[in-house]
Amino acid sequence: MTAGPPPGRAAVIVGVGSYVPPDLVTNGDLVTRLDTSDEWIRSRTGIATRHMVAPGTATSDLAVEAGRRALKSADDSQVDAVVLATTTPDHPCPATAPAVAARLGLGGVAAFDVSAVCTGFLYGLATASGLIAAGVAERVLLIAADAFTTIIDPGDRTTAVIFADGAGAVVLRAGEADEPGAVGPIVLGSDGDNAELITVPGGGSRHRSARQEPKPGDEYFQMAGRATYRHAVERMTEASRQAVGTAGWELSQLDRFAAHQANARILQAVADRLEIPAERRLSNIERVGNTGAASIPLLLAQAAERGELRPGHRVLLTAFGGGLAWGATTITWPDLGH
Amino acid sequence: MFETLKEILVSKLKVSPEQVTPEATKEDVELDSLAVVELSLVLEKELGVEISDDELLDAETIGDMARLIEERSARV
Repeated sequence: MTAGPPPGRAAVIVGVGSYVPPDLVTNGDLVTRLDTSDEWIRSRTGIATRHMVAPGTATSDLAVEAGRRALKSADDSQVDAVVLATTTPDHPCPATAPAVAARLGLGGVAAFDVSAVCTGFLYGLATASGLIAAGVAERVLLIAADAFTTIIDPGDRTTAVIFADGAGAVVLRAGEADEPGAVGPIVLGSDGDNAELITVPGGGSRHRSARQEPKPGDEYFQMAGRATYRHAVERMTEASRQAVGTAGWELSQLDRFAAHQANARILQAVADRLEIPAERRLSNIERVGNTGAASIPLLLAQAAERGELRPGHRVLLTAFGGGLAWGATTITWPDLGH
Repeated sequence: MFETLKEILVSKLKVSPEQVTPEATKEDVELDSLAVVELSLVLEKELGVEISDDELLDAETIGDMARLIEERSARV
């Protein structure tokens, strides 16, 4: 998809917010129950701490708080649609977005979930941009939230050290493609032939219809780490080149690289291939781990708050995850009055 | 081929040159499983040689890896 929006119908970011649950899990906490070490976790993933939901806390609880903060940042409590990107909905049915919209006092607006795992925010941006371009909505609240630890096997040291919980959100309004905050050309892709590389095998219609006893571990998230590294590096690098090229930018003009915080090693490999200098790479993976769909908006919100992301910066966003699914886009960061 | 592999390990995978000998194991040069995947991607891009990370992980030493690359490039 590379066609631009009709005049006045680009999606423009006018607010951003994020939330992480208060409980902090350090590598030291994990080492006591997993056969691993702080050094192993840091060298393989770049992660030192991550946040985890308390018992009873669900994805919608994280989403509501991030959504509330994004609406406040936009100085506007009204939107026409709520889109929630998540891997971990509160329930298999219905979607989580309507409950989030109701709790934010937005009851009655269009509300639905987008399921694209770690690329959820980029698929959500494309969806929100489409709602605006088609005239279905003037303003959209896009939230990306995951209580990812709820699908992680606490005894699996390859995933338990990486995945974490959090939420990020943006408010988008109809505007012009050339104004700050306008979402640039969005590149999206998928590869279902490799769906089994990143999966929760059980719990869906495939297993339920078979009426067999589930295999132990099938209810948990499983990831083939080495194959994932290979696909992630190649797909994010390619999608990034396409998005930057379609926007009419050069890679050397980028001020900030905001990639899905999958794993520090993957991020380094992608940024090295794109020849993006280290000081232009935004990162919060050391503090928050891999928060799934929430990763990019959580990174943007925290970087803007810390002054690492400033108005006028040319930003490249890219993500990769289960599906397989990947994407990339560009944004000139707007002045949100931070 | 050993020198080519050494050059790749040093420049692309940040291994210190004095550690790279034909007898050195992956552990000796601190090449973990993700680094082996990265090496596989680099070999494909730089030398046009397709060797999976599984095959590279089976090689005991850097010398064994160099021989594997040599055999594979001869076949291309």
